[in-house]
Amino acid sequence: MLEIKFSGRGGQGVVVASQILGLAFFKDGKYPQCYSVFGGERRGAPLVSFLRVDAKKILLKCEIRQPGELVCFDDSLVDPADIKESLVPGGRILINTRRPPEAFSELNHFDLGFIDALTVSHEMGLGKIINTTMVGAYCRFAGHLDLDRVLEAVAELAPAEREANMEAARRAFEVMRN
Amino acid sequence: MGKIVAVTGNEAGAEALRQVNPDVCGAYPITPQTDMMQRFSSFVNDGKVDTELILVESEHSSMSACIGAAAGGGRVVTATSSQGLALMWEMLFIAAGDRLPIVMPVVNRALSAPLNIHGDHSDAMGARDSGWIQLWSENAQEAYDNIIQAFRIAEHMDVRLPVMVCLDGFIISHSIERVEYLDDQTVKKFVGNYKQVNPLLDIKKPKSFGPLVLPDLYHEYKRAQHEVMTKVADVVLDVAADFKKISGREYGLFESYKLKDADVALVILNSAAGTAKDVVDDFRKKGIKAGLLKPRLFRPFPYEEIAKALKNAKAVCVLDRADSFGAYGPLFVEINAATMHLKNRPLMTNKIYGLGGRDFMPDQAEEALSELVDIVKKGKVKTVKEYIGVRE
Repeated sequence: MLEIKFSGRGGQGVVVASQILGLAFFKDGKYPQCYSVFGGERRGAPLVSFLRVDAKKILLKCEIRQPGELVCFDDSLVDPADIKESLVPGGRILINTRRPPEAFSELNHFDLGFIDALTVSHEMGLGKIINTTMVGAYCRFAGHLDLDRVLEAVAELAPAEREANMEAARRAFEVMRN
Repeated sequence: MGKIVAVTGNEAGAEALRQVNPDVCGAYPITPQTDMMQRFSSFVNDGKVDTELILVESEHSSMSACIGAAAGGGRVVTATSSQGLALMWEMLFIAAGDRLPIVMPVVNRALSAPLNIHGDHSDAMGARDSGWIQLWSENAQEAYDNIIQAFRIAEHMDVRLPVMVCLDGFIISHSIERVEYLDDQTVKKFVGNYKQVNPLLDIKKPKSFGPLVLPDLYHEYKRAQHEVMTKVADVVLDVAADFKKISGREYGLFESYKLKDADVALVILNSAAGTAKDVVDDFRKKGIKAGLLKPRLFRPFPYEEIAKALKNAKAVCVLDRADSFGAYGPLFVEINAATMHLKNRPLMTNKIYGLGGRDFMPDQAEEALSELVDIVKKGKVKTVKEYIGVRE
């Protein structure tokens, strides 16, 4: 079973990103379970969302304490000590950042991927909403899904600016680094 | 042909209501149910249903509108959560006492104070004595299936009672899962045309609902309500058998999971049962005979059937996601009552878990089962009622 944790801030589209990937895995014939922790929703507050994926029905219904993959929407929320404690050893981490990879050298024993998501989303006219950029980057980084599946899911779930969102995912797929 | 989709519990609930296409819906928003009624409102707006949507100023008014519409002779729905259900309280008894087959998804949420929007069962447990039938659902699929079956149960000529369909707030209402939808025609045919009983709108035959009944007859009236409840379980099973024919999915009064030869068993409602089943599997792998019972029909409570299902267990832990302060948890009380006549009554514990959305993790189920193994060895229970998953 694949267990992915998404961390970011209210207003970045974290929950929708996990739902888009959930839908993409569903379109790929898998059983996704997408679960978000809702609090007093407000812009800027840290929040997390979870996605489990399996080839069969998932019975487990709780948050993910030890994810195999982590998708960080905000590099200010990257806490190496916490990640080392919670992420599966050798797990995958995708970080939205403008800082160089050396800034995250403490996490070198994990599989690291980077994307400057804000630059991509600005280019596409999407402002600070980086969810579709992040799912495009994730798609390339993790390699579980065809880009087409992800684009179909983006097209279905993007509430507005469908073309720009699909293009953001495509661009992020090209420019992410690992 | 039906279709397989990836949707939230709220979305699945709204879809079931769209397919049933009720006559009237009273709607008032409350987290975490809001999304279900919002989606249904869109169906009304987009002409996908013929429902008359009544937007009201409170849940008390919502249930009042539903009662009026149902007494008028319509097929009626609404949905609510938490404080909303609490505010409906007096009207719930009227819906049941007037024998109005209203169907209401309840997206379970904690009650204030302190204010909390997350899932627990305090709301529906507070309404358990209102005379409504209660069906409980582990996941979005069961919520969808239960809502469709609820119309057949509520409207059955031997029943004519309101039904609430419970699903866990956020954990199910806001999680996306794979769900199999039936096609519209199949649902329509399964639910059938609504049959009116004494509709108020039949003005040629005037009648009264809920008039003053003094001590000379009130007691008999309530006994009649008790008696109708004794017929519900058979109807639930008949409807489930018909539902299996169109869906392939099996429902009973409760679900038994690896229970037949189990020495130790958990009894648990709704979404947490999923997590607990995984743990039961782990115990089985270790050679420990563990099992699980997940009630589906909570009102009326199937005492005899559950007693039969638990008769071989040596120790049982009943997990409650609601508390009756100063007393045992509501599910525990029922399971105790169910097993009271058994020759070899299982030893029993009661754990209160997951209040206000506190996550129910596998280690909590593990802890409960391990304690049962120990209880079987020692032959006695140390502490009956205990909170688990508590931060100290």
